[in-house]
Amino acid sequence: MITCQNCKSVVETHVKFCSKCGQSIKKDIDSSRMNAINLIIGFYVANLIFIACTYLISDGSTQDFKMDLGIEIAFAILVLCFSALDYKNILKLYSFKNIHWKVLLFAIVVPIFTSIIVYYLMALINFLLEEGEYVNYYETYLYLEAPLLWSIIFIAILPPIFEELAFRGFLFNKLREVASGKLTIIATAFLFALIHFSFISFLWIFPFGLLLGYLRSKYNTLWIGILIHFIHNFIILLIDYYSYNSIV
Amino acid sequence: MEIEEVKLEETLLCNHCETSVNDDDAFCQDCGYPLKGNEQDVAKFYAKRAMNKNKNIDAAEKIKSAKNTLFVIAGVVLLFAIVRYLSIGDIADLIINFIVCCMYILLGFWTEQKPLMALLLGLLLYVTLVVISAVLEPMTLVKGILWKIVIISYLGKGIYSASSIKTNA
Repeated sequence: MITCQNCKSVVETHVKFCSKCGQSIKKDIDSSRMNAINLIIGFYVANLIFIACTYLISDGSTQDFKMDLGIEIAFAILVLCFSALDYKNILKLYSFKNIHWKVLLFAIVVPIFTSIIVYYLMALINFLLEEGEYVNYYETYLYLEAPLLWSIIFIAILPPIFEELAFRGFLFNKLREVASGKLTIIATAFLFALIHFSFISFLWIFPFGLLLGYLRSKYNTLWIGILIHFIHNFIILLIDYYSYNSIV
Repeated sequence: MEIEEVKLEETLLCNHCETSVNDDDAFCQDCGYPLKGNEQDVAKFYAKRAMNKNKNIDAAEKIKSAKNTLFVIAGVVLLFAIVRYLSIGDIADLIINFIVCCMYILLGFWTEQKPLMALLLGLLLYVTLVVISAVLEPMTLVKGILWKIVIISYLGKGIYSASSIKTNA
């Protein structure tokens, strides 16, 4: 049962026109779809501009802790502002109800394989293409007093929390309003891969996004995605840490 | 008995689409026909229907031109890739441009089945690539800005048309 937006009388869900005032019920659905599409485009473009700005700001200037922290906080605020528009549906995604221990075990074991495969696959492709040297994530935080601690926070803890909220939370919910479940998973994975600004990374982030999107739609929770994303990033960081120390 | 039954059924059908309607309904729930309206209301109803039909034809045309826009972008990318390869000779650059070209072509064909999603992803892919090239070389943002606006507006119109047409189908 839904209410007619025009005269507030209650009509059946399958009905196309309100029997009391003749208002088209489809039009209400139309405008809510338009609204969802506007939010999807707005959210994506806002993220795009934000990332472009961080590239322009950090390009050429020396490393600065305040700037790194400021970028992380600005990204968190951007994501939280959009999420606040849909907070009722997003809060539901933080429930622990649907998490079975088997799924949890899967979420711990799978990223161990994905991270190691991705790490060496990327090293191989970079070697073959000779396109720029590989960025050691640990090395970029050496200028700080406790590089391991800060690199864990900036690489392994913060991105999983806010990227999952942004892509598997807000964007997923909005796309689901205008498309089927399958299409939503494909579209979020595509946009998630696209916004990382790297063609080589696209190869692994797209399937990674498909996996995270599938788990999100099956269990209706963000925790599994956050856990997989965290372990994946954490292991890549650890490999960087050991490879840096073995060279030095 | 039989005559009465027929009479009862007759009063319960909509004049336009012949769906059964309730006695106290002012409008048909299926087609919006004014059951209790006068001649003017009925004329308005048919005028509105004709307008909606035109709107749908219009929407289908906009989706088609958005689809063609994707193919045009794919062609331009391919041409650009070949010219760059002949002048610079960078194979990695050629492969990347070729993959981008394939993405546009795939999205173009996908527009026939899922117009809304294909055009939405096409638009966001295009915008992303514009921003990436602007980050690498800020002057590219201004170069051919009119073309960029035309492309974005064609894709945008296609997206909104696809969004309105889906619920009519």
